[in-house]
Amino acid sequence: MKGSTLGVGRLRAASAGNGVLGVLVLLLIGLTLGMGQLEPLFRALFPDLGTPLYSRDSFLNLMLAHIGLVLVSSLISVTIGIAAGLFVTRPVGREFEPMVSSLAAIGQTFPPAAVLAIAVPLAGFGFAPTIIALSLYGLLPVIQNTIAGLGTVPQTTLEAARGNGMSRWQILRRVELPLAMRVIIAGIRVSVIINIGTATIGSTVGAKSLGTPLIAGLVGNNLAYVIQGALLVGLLAIVTDLLFERLERRYSFGG
Amino acid sequence: MIELQGLTKTYAGKHVVDDVSLTLETGEFGVLIGPSGCGKSTTLKMINRLIPLSGGRIILNGDDVNTLPTEQLRRRIGYAIQSTGLFPHWSVAQNIATVPQLLKWPKSRIDDRVDELMAMFHLDPSEFRHKYPHQLSGGQAQRVGVARALAADPEVLLMDEPFGAVDPITREVLQAEMKRVHQQTGKTIVFVTHDMDEALQLATRIALLNGGRLVQYDRPIEMMVTPADDFVREFIGQADLGLKLLSRRWVHQYQRPPSLAHHATLPGLDHCWQLDDAGRPVALEGARLDDGGVTPVKSEWTATPDMSLKEALSRMVWYRVMVLPVIDEAGKLIGEIGMQGVMGIQAEQRVHAS
Repeated sequence: MKGSTLGVGRLRAASAGNGVLGVLVLLLIGLTLGMGQLEPLFRALFPDLGTPLYSRDSFLNLMLAHIGLVLVSSLISVTIGIAAGLFVTRPVGREFEPMVSSLAAIGQTFPPAAVLAIAVPLAGFGFAPTIIALSLYGLLPVIQNTIAGLGTVPQTTLEAARGNGMSRWQILRRVELPLAMRVIIAGIRVSVIINIGTATIGSTVGAKSLGTPLIAGLVGNNLAYVIQGALLVGLLAIVTDLLFERLERRYSFGG
Repeated sequence: MIELQGLTKTYAGKHVVDDVSLTLETGEFGVLIGPSGCGKSTTLKMINRLIPLSGGRIILNGDDVNTLPTEQLRRRIGYAIQSTGLFPHWSVAQNIATVPQLLKWPKSRIDDRVDELMAMFHLDPSEFRHKYPHQLSGGQAQRVGVARALAADPEVLLMDEPFGAVDPITREVLQAEMKRVHQQTGKTIVFVTHDMDEALQLATRIALLNGGRLVQYDRPIEMMVTPADDFVREFIGQADLGLKLLSRRWVHQYQRPPSLAHHATLPGLDHCWQLDDAGRPVALEGARLDDGGVTPVKSEWTATPDMSLKEALSRMVWYRVMVLPVIDEAGKLIGEIGMQGVMGIQAEQRVHAS
């Protein structure tokens, strides 16, 4: 009885969350495709500006380029981060744990602009240096949370898994990873959200992103451009965050 | 059958388990007991090689466990631990099915086995199959833990203080259930505890360890009656040794035919039972401490053949009667157990047949 009422409560909360998420997704798509419709509004808000609407590229192209940057860099962060986290929590890699942790932490202390500055002479302008900077920057939360998540698996559970005759691989796949998944996803969430914001500065080295109108606005003293870029980046970050929140919830096991 | 031969475990030059040798026959319930740090858990975990041996051998039904592949060995041995170690992300049914799944049993066979085990532990499958460990009480979780250990019908069941983390009332229920499951399945069990009452309740063999050495390996009654040394005597506890002995003796060993007519046997013990048409005892004449008159029989002070003498004595003291009716499942009077029975006067020759 108690369980079912609890369940109903959770369902209601989830459907309320769905509503907010749905509205935000519609807003994001609407603004990306139909920013041009708002030209009169921007003209009214900024009467002094000659061109109050960024038009050197479509917002759809900018959005897709931005998402592409974040996807590729996050994929690299997540792959390297989880692999590193797994390596240092296995018996063979345990002694590397302090080194890997501090390397990742150091990577995060570099400002992304500095990493970009170093990456440009190595990789040229555009997409590649931005991907390098974002991947390095997004690494730390993934590594940290992979290590922390695997650390939350109770010793008794691991002992039971070994005692019941699971191999190391089976323990990792069937017990450790599912139980650590919520914390690992939380790390990926932080990493991706950071990268959605940081990807804007890729525009300073010529990578197309939602940062392009933002930077152009800052350089050209055009506040309307800044608002248009920032609005879409902000919305994208919030929608992504809500999606991750729902994903995390799937991996909580009541304990 | 499990044979430990000169089993030794050394950590940093210190013998945690020191030359332990013993043989547990198939179907026996062996309890490893001793103070903390005596090496009982270490000994248990060497059997399924969660802890590697430093010396000696363990023979499981003829196989040296060190020659078997680790995972294969562990799937032949059930393993239940304190606070259950259930997988929190798996339902009760999935948890129980752990080893059968590793052994790649067909799904229908796994389902049947899970239902069978849930029934054995009085967990209604329709209610519990899909529950998760965090939705279970401590006692239910512990039952699932033991069911999981038994799932693939292992040759041996290892239990490491399985009831250490549950409340005393639940523990007693679980102990009674464990005893029943042992009798039903005939499994060879190795059970670690630090609780002597638990050991006396469950064991057919007790191994008492101290400082890594095996001090005494015996049947429970022998350990109480002929302790090897002062340590054993002290560990068992002298204050209630009489009651502990009674906890290992059963009513059916000491009951006598019921008295159905008055005849003075011993002073103050003259009594007789009144029966109904079905042969059930309805009243007792005499043999009650408060008054010698006729007392209606209450179910609270009846005894059954498989009841321990300790429990029978407890009922006599509490309800102030000198003699209890022994009844069968149908409630029919089949005998009586009195103070003489508790004192072992009826069947002295059977004292050692525990």
